[in-house]
Amino acid sequence: MLVSNLEFLPGRKVVRHLGLVQGSSVRSKHVGRDIAASFKNFFGGELRGYTELLSDSREEATSRMLEQATSLGANAVLNVRYSTSSIAAGAAEIFVYGTAVELAEDVVTDV
Amino acid sequence: MQYENRLPEEGINVTRVHPLKQFLLLVIGALVLVVSLVVVLQVSGGWLAKRVPFDFELKVIEELDIEFGHNKQHPQMVTYLNELAQRVAIHMSVPDDMRFQVHYNEDDVFNAFATIGGNLMFYKGLLEDMPDENALAMVMAHEIAHVLHRDPVGALGGGVASTLALLALTGGAGSSMAGSMLSAGSVTSIQFTRGMEEAADEEALAALNALYGHLNGTSALFEMFSDARGPSRRSEQVLERFLSTHPRDQDRVSAVAQRAQAEGWSVEGALTPLPEGFKDWL
Amino acid sequence: MFSLVIQAGIVVSLLVLGYLFGSFAERRHYKKIREREAKGTGLPVIASRYPPQDQRYHQHLVTGSTVVASDYFKNFLAGLVNIFGGRVTPFESLLDRARREAVLRMKDRARELGAAYVFNIKFDTTRIATGRLAAMEVLAYGTAMVPMDKALGLRSALSDDDVLQPGPVHAV
Repeated sequence: MLVSNLEFLPGRKVVRHLGLVQGSSVRSKHVGRDIAASFKNFFGGELRGYTELLSDSREEATSRMLEQATSLGANAVLNVRYSTSSIAAGAAEIFVYGTAVELAEDVVTDV
Repeated sequence: MQYENRLPEEGINVTRVHPLKQFLLLVIGALVLVVSLVVVLQVSGGWLAKRVPFDFELKVIEELDIEFGHNKQHPQMVTYLNELAQRVAIHMSVPDDMRFQVHYNEDDVFNAFATIGGNLMFYKGLLEDMPDENALAMVMAHEIAHVLHRDPVGALGGGVASTLALLALTGGAGSSMAGSMLSAGSVTSIQFTRGMEEAADEEALAALNALYGHLNGTSALFEMFSDARGPSRRSEQVLERFLSTHPRDQDRVSAVAQRAQAEGWSVEGALTPLPEGFKDWL
Repeated sequence: MFSLVIQAGIVVSLLVLGYLFGSFAERRHYKKIREREAKGTGLPVIASRYPPQDQRYHQHLVTGSTVVASDYFKNFLAGLVNIFGGRVTPFESLLDRARREAVLRMKDRARELGAAYVFNIKFDTTRIATGRLAAMEVLAYGTAMVPMDKALGLRSALSDDDVLQPGPVHAV
């Protein structure tokens, strides 16, 4: 599956558009992480735990979007966008969406 | 097409200001803002509160349902104090709707105070040291004068106004403070300004002169206050002069003499003794 | 009165600690960022939707993200600024650092794939709310353009499953 946030792929032809696909994931860290983070908040710096949490969460959301795309019979998702919102204390929703398309199999148009 | 990433100049998206310098300026600014806000609201809130009808004060005190002192255990003392209040009040210009209620508290505190709703509180610690009725009447007249000047409701109103404003400014951080402003504790611990105290003294002296025909006993009262506080060092005296809400005891003594001279009142005269059995009522 | 003094003491010591640790960390972070940015000029990041058509590229979504927390001093200073309004300077540098860090991480990922450019870069900034904690996540993402000759050599790295591994996490 090819994933891109461009709207077209130079050299590849989109055969048909298969519609919007989306993936989302809401996660939170366990309380221990929150407490550790609140201590870190006194001195500043990166909250490593949260960076990892959101990265994992983003991966999950993306793989869900790809699952949707696969079920539509697509072989690429174009114009992908991420959106993040904090839902409640310590919980964030990651949302990812894009257009599922079917690309012609490696047809090289002139470049 | 040529693509390249040049590095833009550093620090365009951040303001170049030393954080400590900014911090200091902002702290000073915030302090000035808060202090001036409190002063303005204290004054204007007090001014507005004094325009609230006395009836409303009575309703508030009723609503708060405060148990003043230990009146039930000392009926004779309460009766005597209230009777004295009546006698003193006759010589003061009391509005028709204003009433006084004197309470007795058996705590060993050398104090008396006035609060909203015309409630006056006398402590055992003060009463047991009273040498004669003149001194007691002076204290009574002083506290009644506070009520006449609407000082308790003014101070409380100013406090409530400034607290509410700080509450709005800090976004709820002081909510417990605002809650306590209208509680029993605040009603019985109102602080007056020195100006209020001096005005109350003046009014009280006039009433005392009208009641007894002389001011004998009042200077003795202030000297008693001085003794009760104990000797203070010179540095403390200077500090006291600035910080204390009440005028200095010596100043009050000399104010009595000056006033007497100016008005042609006598500072000599027969002292009225306290009623028989006064000590037993304590 | 005594408890008030204790409280004030705690606040002051947190302010001092926050300032010392925070400003030290900020200086060190900026130094690292400048070094890495200087090294990374060979891989242009372009905010354009139209990729070059000079040759065939394999395309790849790449991401880089970081969650940054403000220190106690910055928070306090920002609270004071709030009273008077104006530039919230303590957070300007915080967000500036976070954005540049996210871009650098995204570029690290693109470099691993042998990309020549990253196109159509987008940012996503979110407040992470955990009680009284003030923290922001900055995500940078874009399409890495990997020249086809390099892409063929890295076939395994470009397998379908691997498409969206986030960038590696670096210490700030």
